[in-house]
Amino acid sequence: MKELLVERLSKIYFDPDRGERIAALEEVSLRIAPGEFVAVVGPSGCGKSTLLNLIAGFLEPTSGRILLDGRPVRGPGPDRGVVFQSYALFPWKTVLENVAFGPRMRGLPKAECHAKAMRYLELVGLAHVAHRYPRELSGGMQQRVGVVRALANEPEILLMDEPFAAVDAQTRMTLQEELARIYEERRPTILFVTHDVNEAVFLADRVLLLSKGRLREEIPVPIARPRRWPRLVEDDDFKALVARTLSAVRAA
Amino acid sequence: MERLAARWLWFVEHWPRAAVFAPFVPLLLSWWAVAEIEIFPPAFFPHPLEVLRRGVELAYKGVLGAYLEDSVLRLAVGAAAGIAVGLPLGLLVGLSDRAHRTLWPLLLFFQAIGDIAWLPILLVWFGFGLTTMTFVIVYTVMFPVLMNTALGVRAVPEVLPRAALSLGASRARVILEVVVPGALPNIVTGIRNGLGFGWRALVAAEIIVGTSGIGFMMFDARRAGSVTEVVIGLVVLGVLWSIVDSWILAPLERATGERWGLVAR
Ligand SMILES: Nc1ncnc2c1ncn2[C@@H]1O[C@H](COP(=O)(O)OP(=O)(O)O)[C@@H](O)[C@H]1O
Ligand SMILES: [Mg+2]
Repeated sequence: MKELLVERLSKIYFDPDRGERIAALEEVSLRIAPGEFVAVVGPSGCGKSTLLNLIAGFLEPTSGRILLDGRPVRGPGPDRGVVFQSYALFPWKTVLENVAFGPRMRGLPKAECHAKAMRYLELVGLAHVAHRYPRELSGGMQQRVGVVRALANEPEILLMDEPFAAVDAQTRMTLQEELARIYEERRPTILFVTHDVNEAVFLADRVLLLSKGRLREEIPVPIARPRRWPRLVEDDDFKALVARTLSAVRAA
Repeated sequence: MERLAARWLWFVEHWPRAAVFAPFVPLLLSWWAVAEIEIFPPAFFPHPLEVLRRGVELAYKGVLGAYLEDSVLRLAVGAAAGIAVGLPLGLLVGLSDRAHRTLWPLLLFFQAIGDIAWLPILLVWFGFGLTTMTFVIVYTVMFPVLMNTALGVRAVPEVLPRAALSLGASRARVILEVVVPGALPNIVTGIRNGLGFGWRALVAAEIIVGTSGIGFMMFDARRAGSVTEVVIGLVVLGVLWSIVDSWILAPLERATGERWGLVAR
């Protein structure tokens, strides 16, 4: 696991229809230590996806630098695993083939890829749907596949863009607990973007507040792990942190 | 009558492909009736039985089979070439914004010039022969394949190639593993349309250029004054295409659309 460093990152879009420049991200700097879970929270349109897509290498920054383990990021690569809000599973591939895709692209033998994919599917209790197609699964199951597909490729950092925003509230809590469990067991480095303050505080070690393209505040979350909803909904520290973060979001 | 209907229902249930023929029954009956009462002289408007008799005779002599083989072979060769050119070009136009900007207006222009509109100048360039016919087929098949492939490529959601790149796929693998499968339903639609247009263009080309083939047979029959053979040609053209389209191409299109389909549930 390696450190991610973002230095004075800015992104200006040009909207040709309106002839306008949109500063989506301005002078954003952050550092994520190996094994750390960081959430970026902010209202929609504040630049969360832009930040994540820049780090993923899908977009070119207007200015600033992104360094992973000291090396500048150029374009997308398997060192940064991405989990998308819309799952982005390949519809013509089975669940197993989706999860085995990353290892296969890196040249591992097929049998090894499949064995590995199977192990990761077992991690989220989905081994029994390995040979189904994504469209045969519920949204929650599809996103579990999305998460383990990224994990199975063993990236240096996991980038997650509102991954649980499209599922129902019940499933969302289950997925959040599952991600917390996986994090507690394996300690991957995670940058998690969301507009949901509860989710950010529940998951992260540190919550960064993004508003109108700028980082406004940093809120540490010193809540013990393992984190599970039944305990945290009763926890006064958790409630206080959520309240504090929420008022910071509204004030920003 | 009721028993007949029940029979038919049984038939369709056990052999669903037969349902394709159902709408032709009233058509055939009307043809029969009009021919039977001889509103028009039989030399102008042949009786279905006469068409059948002559058709069987031509088939027995091997003429029909040989002409059909010529036509189908020409279509197959031309279509294969059309697909071989249209598919990669479609991928290029779909993938590259620059190629799209520069080529799309040209494509629209040349697509608008229908296949047969080329015939006069092709006849001057290549004469009455196979080259001219092949050109027309390739041209006709290429455009629907190219346009649909490009549309299909552009319809692949941006996140899919992104996901593949983030999982370590090279550009070439992204095209092979994501772009082509993602565009496949459109590609199949393009091939289906292309073959349909190509089949029609082929017959037109055979009528004008031909030395053999179904189109040539029809034109030759007209010269000899045999309307029966012209009608045989019409029937063969229609039947053959219906079978190919409804038994092979349409199911293929449906299957790729459902299996590969990017449409959310
Ligand atoms: N491709 C684009 N072209 C122009 N403006 C964009 C583009 N993408 C995003 N924006 C604008 O940039 C701002 C930040 O967008 P985004 O990063 O998607 O926010 P978030 O993910 O927090 O909702 C918004 O105002 C949005 O309209
Ligand atoms: Mg977003």
